[in-house]
Amino acid sequence: MPKITIDGHEIEAPSGAMLLPVALENGVHIPHYCWHPKLSIDGSCRMCQVEVEGSPKLVIACNMPIRDGMVVRTKTPAVENARRGVMELLLVNHPLDCPICDKAGECLLQDYSFAFGSRVARTREPRRKLQKRKDIGPRMILDQERCILCRRCVRFCREVTGTNELGVFNMGDRSVLNVMPEAPLANDYSICTADICPVGALESKDFHHKLRVWFLKKTESVCPSCANGCNVTVHHYRDRVWRMMPRRNDAVNETWMCDHGRLNYQHVNSPDRLRQPLLRRNGHLEPVDWEEAIAAATTQLRRMARAPGGPAIGAVASPHLTNEENFRFAQLWRALNVASVDVAVVVGQKDALLIKAEKAANARGARDMGLLPGPGGVGLPAMLDAAARGQLRVLYVCGPDLWETADRQLLEQAIERLECLIVQDIVRSPLAERAHVVLPSLTFAEKTGTFTNFAGRVQRLRQAIQAPNEQPGDGEIFSRILGQLVEGRPAFEPAAVLQEIAAAIPAYAGLTFERVGPLGYALPSAAAAVPEATA
Amino acid sequence: MATRTVSVRRPPPVRHGWLHSAGAILVGLRVTSRHFFRNLWGFIRRKPTVFTVQYPEQRLEFPNAFRGMPVLVQMDNGKERCVACGLCEWACPTDCITIFPAETEDEIERYPAVFDINMSRCMYCGLCEEACPEEAIVMSQNVEIAAFSRRGTLWHKQDLLVPVSKLEKRLQHMRRGYDR
Repeated sequence: MPKITIDGHEIEAPSGAMLLPVALENGVHIPHYCWHPKLSIDGSCRMCQVEVEGSPKLVIACNMPIRDGMVVRTKTPAVENARRGVMELLLVNHPLDCPICDKAGECLLQDYSFAFGSRVARTREPRRKLQKRKDIGPRMILDQERCILCRRCVRFCREVTGTNELGVFNMGDRSVLNVMPEAPLANDYSICTADICPVGALESKDFHHKLRVWFLKKTESVCPSCANGCNVTVHHYRDRVWRMMPRRNDAVNETWMCDHGRLNYQHVNSPDRLRQPLLRRNGHLEPVDWEEAIAAATTQLRRMARAPGGPAIGAVASPHLTNEENFRFAQLWRALNVASVDVAVVVGQKDALLIKAEKAANARGARDMGLLPGPGGVGLPAMLDAAARGQLRVLYVCGPDLWETADRQLLEQAIERLECLIVQDIVRSPLAERAHVVLPSLTFAEKTGTFTNFAGRVQRLRQAIQAPNEQPGDGEIFSRILGQLVEGRPAFEPAAVLQEIAAAIPAYAGLTFERVGPLGYALPSAAAAVPEATA
Repeated sequence: MATRTVSVRRPPPVRHGWLHSAGAILVGLRVTSRHFFRNLWGFIRRKPTVFTVQYPEQRLEFPNAFRGMPVLVQMDNGKERCVACGLCEWACPTDCITIFPAETEDEIERYPAVFDINMSRCMYCGLCEEACPEEAIVMSQNVEIAAFSRRGTLWHKQDLLVPVSKLEKRLQHMRRGYDR
């Protein structure tokens, strides 16, 4: 491997690598705008100029292949002068929009202006007047004045999504970023252009004028919207989720995420969320306290578990719950000898990039936890059939997916015949309206645990915000019910439950939160070969 | 321990001592009574000669450097100059400012839909004024935060708006002071 020297530090790097990524990986920060780790090299911003011994002029680090014995200096007066010059030219036409710009606080132009720019402007000419607040797609707006023409977004639309909506038109100092005529920026990954935009030229409509970014607290998590399990950072403030941003994980989502997943956090802040357990009395759902609701559910389960001819209970697990929670759920049914257990998952469209068909993050994990029909039990459509024929008397449904996937007529018939329908969900869904016991569930932003994605990669979910009303989590609910049925069941502690999982399920052997780490842990390949459901 | 007795010679009692005391009282009251009669005379002539300010009927004008309650500058078109950039909210050491931005069709596309200052928490440090890039929040000369309830000390945007003409002196003072 070639050895190079950057600022006196000797660094070993793979041959053929470019200087800029090598420097960044080794902790030498070279400022840059147009270079992005997952896009092709453009070399248009000229910000990453460095001094290379033997080269007559400064060279751009992003497009400079490393060579054995190369000596690079990034902090010489010539380099600083060049950076100051680049900054000055970039700022000639950049409007002073910082107070109203959503990017302010995480803007590279701001950061580098403070770090490398000069404090005063020498230009007296008026700035360019271009289109501001231009509606370029269903989820994006464009401010042409703010654009510094780094072309990251253009390359993204060309290389990653292949949709080519964006382009730089005209030449020289009349260059302007715009969408192609008659082609709005409407691809499934359009908001990624706002992430990679180093300035506030491309902005997401969802976050437009919502909150200053410096107030946001960041929690590393996993996107709950499909089986891909894209790594995300949940941005939250005052116990509210404000946005989700992709987090780099080259094994899962590189640095991207789809718009649907990114915008699918509204239910966390929804005013329609269930905040108290409900119990059906005289035909109406009435709010009750937790002890009462759990006691009511337990009584029904205990009674029907002893039904003549085996337990007359069916359980539908949620693919939105964590492995730890679903493991407890599975334990509950083992304790009651219930075999009619299944997972309901909404299956939709998939694409070649990130979006997977299963529209829930943890269907794979739920199946791994043993939430599949056991010996003598029936799977999902048959379970509803059995309920409609009166063979199953109690149905415990977690999550909204059953209502979305099941045959509506059959489901209504089944609900008609059921003695008790227990529904655990986040909002007051149509299924919850028909239930006898309703237990509020928590969202992905309010709990800790692990998800297993479609390829068998276990990833960490971290609690970002407080649960409303100090509501117990789903795992805690299962633990409490289990505690009523079986003696000596401890409280729900995700890390401890993961240890139980590691001991009980061979594929998950030896797994701890530390081992899962920030980027996840791929299960052994034999276990990974479970096919995903298809549309 | 041996004790020692010391004889102290006391001065002989003053004859007619009370007369001396009465004299001292009169001397002491001389200043008070002089002011009393001068004020009385001034009051009768309706030309007060003392510094007492009859608050709240009378009010003092504070120097321009005085920092009273922070207020929002209202432009001539009746709208606030604030663009809800949030820098004052961030600069505030007591966290007494709450802002929720919103968008309009005006040329200044962003405005605060909510701008609340919890005046009972404000400590008049003036950091919000210094942080503001738009000269939109300034320290006024108003110091009256008294209210009948805690809720009354929470000032909303409409309570905070003050026309720019009334704040001209402070704005000039700021421009001198903050190196703008």
